[in-house]
Amino acid sequence: MPDLRARLFRPARDPAWGAAAALLASFAVSFVAMAASGRDPVDGFGHLLSGAFGGPGPLGETALKTSILILTGLSVAVALIVGLFNIGAEGQLIWGALAAAVVGRLEVPGVMLLALLAAALAGGAWGLIAGWLKVRRGVHEVISTILLNWIAIHLIQGWLVPGPLAATGSGAHVSVAGTEAIQRGAWLPRLWPGTRLDLGFPLALLIALGVWFLLSRTRRGFEWRAVGAGPDAALAAGIPAGRRICEGMALSGALAGIGGALLILGTEHRYPGVFRTGYGFDGIAVALVGGGSPAATAIAALVFGALRAGATRLQLVGIHPSFAELTQGLAVLLVAAPRMFQPLLARLRGRDAVPP
Amino acid sequence: MNALELTGIRKRFGAVAAVDGVSCAVAEGEVLALVGENGAGKSSLISVACGLYRPDSGSVRAFGRELPPGDPRAAIEARIGAVHQHFMLVGPLTVWENVVLGREPRRRGFIDAARARREVAEGAERCGLAVDPQARVETLGVAAQQRVEIVKQLWRGARVLILDEPTALLSPQESAALLRTVRALAEEGRAVVFVSHKLREVLDVADRIAVLRRGRLVQISRRSETDADKIAGALIEGPATAPEASARQGERGPVLLTVRELSCASDRGRPALRGLSFELQRGEILGVAGVDGNGQSELAEVLTGLRRADGTASLGNDVSFHRSPAAARRAGVAHLPEDRQRRGLCLPLSVEENLALGHHALPPYARGPLIDRAGRREKARELIEGFDVRPADPLARAAALSGGNQQKLVAARELAGGPPPRLIVAVHPTRGLDPFAARRVHQALRAARDRGAGVLLISLDLDELRALADRILVLFEGRSAGEAEPEAGDDRLGRMMLGQEPARA
Repeated sequence: MPDLRARLFRPARDPAWGAAAALLASFAVSFVAMAASGRDPVDGFGHLLSGAFGGPGPLGETALKTSILILTGLSVAVALIVGLFNIGAEGQLIWGALAAAVVGRLEVPGVMLLALLAAALAGGAWGLIAGWLKVRRGVHEVISTILLNWIAIHLIQGWLVPGPLAATGSGAHVSVAGTEAIQRGAWLPRLWPGTRLDLGFPLALLIALGVWFLLSRTRRGFEWRAVGAGPDAALAAGIPAGRRICEGMALSGALAGIGGALLILGTEHRYPGVFRTGYGFDGIAVALVGGGSPAATAIAALVFGALRAGATRLQLVGIHPSFAELTQGLAVLLVAAPRMFQPLLARLRGRDAVPP
Repeated sequence: MNALELTGIRKRFGAVAAVDGVSCAVAEGEVLALVGENGAGKSSLISVACGLYRPDSGSVRAFGRELPPGDPRAAIEARIGAVHQHFMLVGPLTVWENVVLGREPRRRGFIDAARARREVAEGAERCGLAVDPQARVETLGVAAQQRVEIVKQLWRGARVLILDEPTALLSPQESAALLRTVRALAEEGRAVVFVSHKLREVLDVADRIAVLRRGRLVQISRRSETDADKIAGALIEGPATAPEASARQGERGPVLLTVRELSCASDRGRPALRGLSFELQRGEILGVAGVDGNGQSELAEVLTGLRRADGTASLGNDVSFHRSPAAARRAGVAHLPEDRQRRGLCLPLSVEENLALGHHALPPYARGPLIDRAGRREKARELIEGFDVRPADPLARAAALSGGNQQKLVAARELAGGPPPRLIVAVHPTRGLDPFAARRVHQALRAARDRGAGVLLISLDLDELRALADRILVLFEGRSAGEAEPEAGDDRLGRMMLGQEPARA
């Protein structure tokens, strides 16, 4: 039974249990925090759950938010796979949103697909800049992606949207800030009457499946993982590491860009004058809890998406909706903390962290 | 009184007993050698001795006093000092700063630099260790850094000095100097634990020799009562019937690799190769000897496409085979890199993934653009068995393997994982390997040669070069200092390595 033996011998390397435990613990701490602030936590969590899962409307909202988080989470996860920490999903997302808003206005058949494609290209190009800067000029991606976020925000929301791309005065729309509305044909079809659940959700799941396949079943995915796991070894093995890093960053940006397109094509139907989503940054939390696995990233996105959807109901019991962010922050902290404290824990247990 | 006494030490990692009930002691003024295969438990045992690991049972006593388990600070206070294989030095600081780091002598709240410098210089001189206290550590060679580590331990008052494979990185001259130092330290009344693979050194330096096998102490004897055969017999299970030095099967063929006036710079921009020329034939192992840092690493990098150089190197008629690592690999160059953890392996990936690395675009690892998971698994099992990689688990992470098994993994991939290589560049291929693992790698290199490949074997171990090479090329300051036959003596090779023997015409 070599297979069974091999399986038993395998060191515990599945971080999924740790992440699940961290999520549970973060909910427990939030529960206590809610009680400490004088609210009834059972009632609060009841509202949270009903806001996320209580009926078609809430389920639709959860699905909507989950689909965007799946894409930004995958975006950060794919960058981590090639060894880069992409803080720039937010900037890549709004470029994707803008591209979708611009292309979505075209009166051509298949405009929805075209808009999605344009969003992927725009986000991908923005991601590629950070990859290229890293490979060619040695600029650390954390710095470059943070700065590129601000460049994107100011270019798009400070200039393009209120300026050259602003909706021109056409009767009733003159008071609406933002770009002109996209074609009806570019709208993501709603799948469940009475809810905002649209094609974006199955699309995001399909993309997660595709990313999983790419990473774990294809040669190219293997090369990406090898570059992230050991850039020098990958290079010595003949893998063009720099090119693979650029590709990974382009894919990362494309995923975030599609996330932006889902927002525009699904709910906004134009690039709005005020557009601060935070989905790009939440993607970092999703990816960290997901630990680099597409499936776990999708599950983490569902948890955080439900939290986001449910938190709006918390206002009914006088709790600020940023409560969701508290829980999310705690979860990230608890996922990251064991990695920091592992040596200490091992020592306390009288065991050594790393066998020789 | 025993300076250091280990009693009934047991230490398990998961299901594996790394150390299984070992008791031994070393007295003041004595050198105890610790020998054993990779994974025999040497490193775990000394880690227990200096408090880095907490044993599952057993006790550590220093000068009669029992130490609290798993407390490195207590071990240091009990005057146990260890020099590990990976030096714990701060590169940008000077020698004296490194020595006193964390225990700086102070005067009125400030570091008393003058006193520190004086003490470090005196301490070094007293033990015959040549170090310049003012030199920056990162400018020093490996041997000098090791001397700094020893001076550091002595300055901190170590009465028990543990040296973990101290000669692995040294040239023969440097090793000889180190062995003299070890003897001198023992004469001074210190206790020394000397961990090594090299029987010759052990027999040279030790008063008593302890042999570990699979975590157990299988033999401990006085130097006068043992010899190389007895130790080798205890070291490995069963009779050591070594199919050594099988004569070459194939014929030496036409010239495979021609190197002409090769020059390149090191990472720091200094000239590393300065007009190196040589030839390598098919079916030949060309050994490359030299003191570390005379251009060996750069030569290997140039030939495997990792470093640009002036001059020409041609593989057959192909003068641009080394324009990139991918091109070199396509041309049939295999590489057993010097830094196997960084350059040979993706440590977080699994054994089977590491076995595919570099060949992953070819069958049986791939089918078109997809990974052929069944094919890869089957090939991985075959390679794991052929090279005796342990644990024999294709899904184990490369990082979880011992150093010797990691090297077997790299060798399996490079020598047998893909199309048969034409040129094999092997750099220190058996550094840190136990005799069994080393023999496995040697067999594989010989087999490749007999099949008609050319092997460039870069090593600091003259015994290894003698056993394997058909010719030995000596590098000195980036140039050829001449060639020698494998039978050449240590003294002649040593003189060539130091540039004192004129190259023959």
